[in-house]
Amino acid sequence: MGRIAVTILLILSPLLSTDINIYEQNCVKCHENMPVSLDKFFFNYLLKYSSERRVKQALRNYLKHPRRKASLATEELVSRYGLMPKTDLSDEDLRKAIDTYWDKYKVFGKIE
Amino acid sequence: MSVSNVTATGINRSERITLVRFIGLYSFLVLMILILGSTIYFKLQKDLMLQTKRLELEEYSKELIDGLKLLHIYFDRYRTYPRNPLYRSAIYDADHVQIFSTLKHPEGVQLEKVIYTTDGVIQYIHVLDSYYLGTKYTVVEIDDDRKWFAQAWRNILIYGGFLLVIFLGAGVMLMRLFLSPMRDAIHLLDRFIKDTTHELNTPVSAILSNIEMIETDRLEPKTAKKIKRIEIGARTISTIYQDLTYLALNHNIVSQNSDVDLSALVQERVDYFRILAESKKIGIETDIQPGITLYIDENKMARLVDNLLSNAVKYNRRGGEIFVRLRPGELIVKDSGIGMDEKQIKEVFKRYKRFDSGAGGFGIGLNIVAMIAQEYDLEIEIDSQKGHGSEVAVKWDA
Repeated sequence: MGRIAVTILLILSPLLSTDINIYEQNCVKCHENMPVSLDKFFFNYLLKYSSERRVKQALRNYLKHPRRKASLATEELVSRYGLMPKTDLSDEDLRKAIDTYWDKYKVFGKIE
Repeated sequence: MSVSNVTATGINRSERITLVRFIGLYSFLVLMILILGSTIYFKLQKDLMLQTKRLELEEYSKELIDGLKLLHIYFDRYRTYPRNPLYRSAIYDADHVQIFSTLKHPEGVQLEKVIYTTDGVIQYIHVLDSYYLGTKYTVVEIDDDRKWFAQAWRNILIYGGFLLVIFLGAGVMLMRLFLSPMRDAIHLLDRFIKDTTHELNTPVSAILSNIEMIETDRLEPKTAKKIKRIEIGARTISTIYQDLTYLALNHNIVSQNSDVDLSALVQERVDYFRILAESKKIGIETDIQPGITLYIDENKMARLVDNLLSNAVKYNRRGGEIFVRLRPGELIVKDSGIGMDEKQIKEVFKRYKRFDSGAGGFGIGLNIVAMIAQEYDLEIEIDSQKGHGSEVAVKWDA
């Protein structure tokens, strides 16, 4: 049983690290240079869209079609850094990146 | 079919049955109304309690939302859920997924409602405009002390019981009011029969005694036949007179019980009815065991036997047969008459019940039989088939 678990983990670990890499390469890389961190954006999405399904759907829509009206960033931030460019990630990679983002900042299981 | 449980069916009994049925139906309807009223009252009391508690719960909810707001802003620094010993709470997202809960009964949460009771707790739902930590619904829960519940039940039982008694009292009064015309009609009929009975005695006795004095042997056969017919008619009237006297006067008098020689009595009554039976060409066959006695009032036993024989003659076909059998503990009168169906057998002991209006009589015969049978614990069994005659068996502990 233990062996099977280890084998599965070994097979899955490159896949998991690939998902994280998509997020790191395509999201964190740009946002780490900005004064507003990614977790603040996450909590703004949470504040407006509430549930996992709705947050993920809003993120996907925005990243595929960035519009000023749909942006949750402040006026100041937008005027300084501009709107995000339209993502060139495939639907599958975009899903993986958003899933990683959700898992990283979600509040489920973190409240004490 | 055994009808031993069918007893004398006077007006009081039928009145009682009607009264019981009416009261049953009336009580059912009254209960329905009271249950409906109680349900509405109970619901109102519950709503009143919830409205009172709602103010308190709204305050707790505001406090919780303030705490969530702070937690949302400073989530990177601390993650302690806002708690208060006065209430328990939970938060749910827009897809009704529970984010966090300190509830005692999270399984009873109904997010589509506002305030409700479940499993001994009161839960209040508030929908947020800004979803702090993704929270769309806050649930605040306090214990339900159930004082309102006990109070509501107490009021329902006290006032409901009071109303039930009043309604039932009114029902009985209504019933008596409705029955009054029927009772008057029956009393009038009884009184009429009683008065008529008094007037019958003298002329009937005069006719019978004078007929007995006529020496028919000396008469022409034609005249003798006519005299016999007069005698039959007079005897029929005499039997009716005896029945009416029993109903109107005798049955309330204390019985003069003695060891009656049933064998002699039955034989005597058969002989008495033989003339009547012959007029319809009906033959009476007897199988009477001698020496059978029964401790009973002789007049009443005569009335019982007379009525069985009278019916056997009355409802028999022309040229029919009657069979009378007497054994210890059993008297059977069997005829070859029109017979009865199941429904008629059930109603046969009711007073003024006649199945063949052409046969004459008042329909009181078997009512008298039933009354006497009840008084002396005699069991009556009727075996009858429509068109094939009837067999009436009177049984007693020999």
